[in-house]
Amino acid sequence: MGGAERPFRTVLIANRGEIALRVARTCRDMGIRTVAVHSTDDRDSPVVRYADAAVQIGPAPARRSYLNMAAILQAALGSGADAVHPGYGFLSENPDFAEACLASGLTFIGPSPAAMRRLGDKSAARRLMAQAGLPLLPGTLEPTGSLAEAESAAAGIGYPLIIKAVAGGGGRGMRVVRRAADLAHAYRTTRAAAQTLFGDGRVYLERFLPHARHVEIQILCDAYGGALHLGERDCSVQRRRQKLIEETPAPGVPAGTLERMCAAAIAGARAAGYSGAGTFEFLVDPAGRFFFMETNCRIQVEHPVTEMATGIDLVREQIRIAAGLPLSLSQQDVRPRGAVIECRVNAEDPDRDFAPAPGRLAGFAPPLGPFIRVDTHAFPGYRVPAAYDSLLAKVVVWAPDREQAVARMRRALAEFQVAGVATTIPFLRRVLDDPEFVRGGHGTDLADRLLGRPDGAP
Amino acid sequence: MSAPHGNGDGPPALAGPRHDSAHERGDGDTLGAVRETALQVLGALPHPPSALRIQVGAVTLELDWPVNAAPQGAPPGPASPAAPAAGAADHIGAVSVGVFYRAPEPGAEPFVREGSVVAAGQQVAIVEAMKLMIPVTATRACRIVRALVEDGSAVEFDQPLFEIAAAGA
Repeated sequence: MGGAERPFRTVLIANRGEIALRVARTCRDMGIRTVAVHSTDDRDSPVVRYADAAVQIGPAPARRSYLNMAAILQAALGSGADAVHPGYGFLSENPDFAEACLASGLTFIGPSPAAMRRLGDKSAARRLMAQAGLPLLPGTLEPTGSLAEAESAAAGIGYPLIIKAVAGGGGRGMRVVRRAADLAHAYRTTRAAAQTLFGDGRVYLERFLPHARHVEIQILCDAYGGALHLGERDCSVQRRRQKLIEETPAPGVPAGTLERMCAAAIAGARAAGYSGAGTFEFLVDPAGRFFFMETNCRIQVEHPVTEMATGIDLVREQIRIAAGLPLSLSQQDVRPRGAVIECRVNAEDPDRDFAPAPGRLAGFAPPLGPFIRVDTHAFPGYRVPAAYDSLLAKVVVWAPDREQAVARMRRALAEFQVAGVATTIPFLRRVLDDPEFVRGGHGTDLADRLLGRPDGAP
Repeated sequence: MSAPHGNGDGPPALAGPRHDSAHERGDGDTLGAVRETALQVLGALPHPPSALRIQVGAVTLELDWPVNAAPQGAPPGPASPAAPAAGAADHIGAVSVGVFYRAPEPGAEPFVREGSVVAAGQQVAIVEAMKLMIPVTATRACRIVRALVEDGSAVEFDQPLFEIAAAGA
């Protein structure tokens, strides 16, 4: 592959924080000009200086800047961009935005609006994946219309079960129900919460697996039916269904199970007509059975785990696929090596129930050394805004095996100096010292158990 | 669809005067002192700020004012490569990223000229964003000193469009 390959002249990066900077870096590697957008609160964000051009698109509230489609499209057209990379979060999985980009003559770096719609609606996605032969957790395929309907469905599913908002995500809009007596209350409150949070009160029911592992498959698909997988990521360390630590290979999951999950992810992507980088999320129970959860139609926070293990730049592949190029590699070229762990460092106070901790970084010295990657937009003196997500940095380490990777991550977190705001580093260090995590036998209930919340219910 | 694992449109974490949470925990005296200091500082200001930040370790005190409402002599905001003149002078800023037009249509009289005295709420220009004509209005009665941007050029959100002065000045 030649270094002179340049599928786009200018890419506008419709995001902020570490992912905006990370996308800008790959664009520079590819010789593509970049345009950053930023709110008034993000004027001193490094991507503003790093990109070839920057446009201030609105005030701090995301609704008026990073979620303001008209402002972003105006910035793209006014700055001569020919493509838009949405990063993660914000507009990255919004089919209307993808459609608006296309209507404005811009390439959206992501799947087609139709594929996003097919996979974005959880009920529709479950139906489609069931048709494609993916195993689903026992549950309702269609949203439950009434409490009576939910009660009869629950009797068939069994307890514990989880009520999920069709439009939910990111750990919000779901509730675990342990006994039939609690169903009515939980059903009503989840519906009300979903209506308030997402403007869509539809919910569905699913069996809840208390000690399951969260394992996901990274895929790449081109527009010509080419599809391959890049192995798995275990994201079982979660606090209220927000990921804290991700790793590959998934410890303790049989190779046969992983192979079948990879094949299932590719079958699912084909059924959805997917193109670009995407992720199929599964739950794996202690017996090694796996169940499809959902698809993420975007680059993910934890994508460096896969990049470190495979040596493949996922953003570069996204850009090439969006430009209409066929996949540049085949399944045989994907050979994950060693063990990789990623820790998310957030400006949150673990001692105060992970309350966001905005403020100025009096000091910031990320870890260095062999086989360590830190993706961050922070620097000494940086002001962590209160208006956005609290992700400060991602520390990713590679080692030949998991034991060495855990040791390296312990060393990296011990080196990481952040002064001025509270961070999740002390809690991450507790997880890395936990015997169950060290053994690799943990499930999604680990973090809540460490916090003295064995239920793990939000 | 999974929501943002990373970025999102979260609500502001702490409302009102913010303080460094690292120093707050288990120290009611510090918190009390911070509150008292905040009230004193706010009481002594001629114009209420949009944000007040107090850090106790290594002592930091920061105040922010909205750029448009910056009182005379207020400290300018952080220098921005995007909007170099922001905060440096009294001005009317762009309401959106878009294209700046001084007149309602090509060839027509501009909304205002240098020296025009305008009332609060009076339209002074248009910013066009995605075929949407967004009126730019004066936030208070003032005199237009000069236009800072060429007619028809691209502007960013909050970019100063007109330098203004008090109506009688």
